[in-house]
Amino acid sequence: MAGATANLEKIEGWDGQTSPMRASYGKLFMWFFLVSDALTFSGFLCAYGFFRHRFAGEWPDPQEVFHHFPFLHGKHLPLMYVGLMTFILIMSSVTMVLAVEAGHRKNRRQVLIWMFATIIGGFMFVGSQAWEWYNFIKGTDTGAVLYENKMYLYNVDHTTHAVDTTTLRFKGSVLSKEESARIIASGEKFYGANLKHNEYGHIAFADFFFFITGFHGFHVFSGVIINIVIFIMALQGYMDRVGHYEMVEKVGLYWHFVDLVWVFVFTFFYLL
Amino acid sequence: MSEFHDPFPSYETMSQHDEAYGKKARRTLWNVFWLLLVVTIVEVIVGLYAVDWNLSKTFLKIFFIGFTLVKAFYIVYTFMHLGHESKWTKWVIIGPFTGFILYLIFMMVIGEGNYSMTKRLDEPAAKVEHVDGGGH
Repeated sequence: MAGATANLEKIEGWDGQTSPMRASYGKLFMWFFLVSDALTFSGFLCAYGFFRHRFAGEWPDPQEVFHHFPFLHGKHLPLMYVGLMTFILIMSSVTMVLAVEAGHRKNRRQVLIWMFATIIGGFMFVGSQAWEWYNFIKGTDTGAVLYENKMYLYNVDHTTHAVDTTTLRFKGSVLSKEESARIIASGEKFYGANLKHNEYGHIAFADFFFFITGFHGFHVFSGVIINIVIFIMALQGYMDRVGHYEMVEKVGLYWHFVDLVWVFVFTFFYLL
Repeated sequence: MSEFHDPFPSYETMSQHDEAYGKKARRTLWNVFWLLLVVTIVEVIVGLYAVDWNLSKTFLKIFFIGFTLVKAFYIVYTFMHLGHESKWTKWVIIGPFTGFILYLIFMMVIGEGNYSMTKRLDEPAAKVEHVDGGGH
């Protein structure tokens, strides 16, 4: 082993002769974790697609469900709020990558500024998601009719978005006026959505909405917490001591993954 | 937090660059941001007017999923810096993931997604016969 000690300074990487795939250990394993998490989310979205097609007749139209906007009660603005949420998250992704770029230049002040902006953006997104949940759970002003544990929805005109409170829809087909009147008289009004009843349509829509956006929101929240930890570490000069800002880059990978998942959730839930 | 000393010449410091390179890098990042913003706005507009413009469901699926994949590519390639990594790193991450996703989608479409718990209940009772054990 005498010959090997002479080469000790030249050894690179993960305790062996080379660094596999020419990347540092931490970064590569953050990538592996992200692949596994991406597969988890893909499984959930695939399950959503399966249910969405299985119950296509009774599946609510997201544009009829999500048409609210803060401070503009009663106005019909489909996709505007979720578009704003997407913009906030993309913006925080940009500030995150700018923090990573500043880390590559070992500019501590800029890293702190951009990390702080990312944290603010993350909190804004989580808050926006909470407001979306609140509106979804609270329900519309007109609600639906619950009779014998079955949900009957009011018929909605697709062009004027006016709710016809005299006609009911059940599992996608419209009922006659007499049948509707009978059910309205004996049923009870139900507003909003929870895990048992959904005013907007099939219960699986509410189940998947809460689960997938909740799981994603949990990732955003944990990402914000981790960002705060890295922010404090940068503030205390840890990264200057070790000579590199790779922690910021690794945390940036996680944050961009969160943005990436949102792009897919936004497409499958709200657009398709 | 104790001091951390990395004993090897490390890849952590190899990604560092100077201000001149940084200017170009930031230019690219902001360009990608504008691209993502424009693509999202286009997607939202098409989503809002899909019914009015009488677009077919197949077109919408291809359009939305296609543009989402474009956004995903740019986020992974530029924001996550996968474009700067070595060829092997790229393939070790993209290859298995894509393989699993394609497998999942095709399995759902071809066979696994066609079972339904309620399918049996739709059949009249008389038609449900005894299937010998070991069926499938």
